[in-house]
Amino acid sequence: MPEADAQEVQTIEMLMSNTETIPGHTIIQMLGIVTGSTVRAKHIGKDILAGFKNIVGGELKGYTELLQEARAQALQRLVMESHSRGANAIVNIRFATSAIAGGAAELMAYGTAVVVG
Amino acid sequence: MARDELDILFSLAWPLLFTVVPLLFSWIFGNIYQRKKQEELEVRVESFGTDNLTTLKSPPTQVSASGLLTANIIMSVSWWQKLVGGIKTIFGGQVQTWDGILAWARKEAMQRLREQARAGGFDNVINVRLETSEIQSSKGRNTAVEILAYGTGIKT
Repeated sequence: MPEADAQEVQTIEMLMSNTETIPGHTIIQMLGIVTGSTVRAKHIGKDILAGFKNIVGGELKGYTELLQEARAQALQRLVMESHSRGANAIVNIRFATSAIAGGAAELMAYGTAVVVG
Repeated sequence: MARDELDILFSLAWPLLFTVVPLLFSWIFGNIYQRKKQEELEVRVESFGTDNLTTLKSPPTQVSASGLLTANIIMSVSWWQKLVGGIKTIFGGQVQTWDGILAWARKEAMQRLREQARAGGFDNVINVRLETSEIQSSKGRNTAVEILAYGTGIKT
């Protein structure tokens, strides 16, 4: 996602929850399902470093950060789509991860865009 | 002849250097490293005190604010653990090496979620879900698992 979009997203106020309602609010209108996804591949350098880390096992920090960033981007796209539909909240958010090809993974976030009051 | 025996020893030493030695290295240092990290996690869990995560779908109390929280970790097994696990898959039964790694990863992911909730000023996290997915490197050699823990943080 370009920088401008990322900045734009930060100004959007969107309530998010993985429960069926936003706690403390009531749903006024349902606007349908929204999705946000991104496909990420790893840097070859990180791959080699991870290979060395595999000797002792444990956390692969480079990958943890990579997927964290990717998931944040998927959420940003989710927020953008909901915003364009005129929603002010997303409920019942779910995450899905799938390995596309060796070294690349798709991260997806989906939920229901709603208007809450 | 002593010379021939030396030659045989050398020809055996090379394959050993690239197979047994790294595995031994992996076994010794992997054990030390993982034990140290697991002890650090224990300390973090204990010093944190209360458990603010629940799998309840709705908040038990009045809520003033809420927000989505996610925490993840990618964990891999060491060469040694991978070998032992691989041998285990021939005979079946419990694969203890993977078992321990997954339990550890889940514990770490949940602890991160707890810490994130506290850092964000949330009192509780409701509807906590745990997801596991396999991560592969480009050549498919290094397999690892990702544990994702997510939930809705609530302020009472």
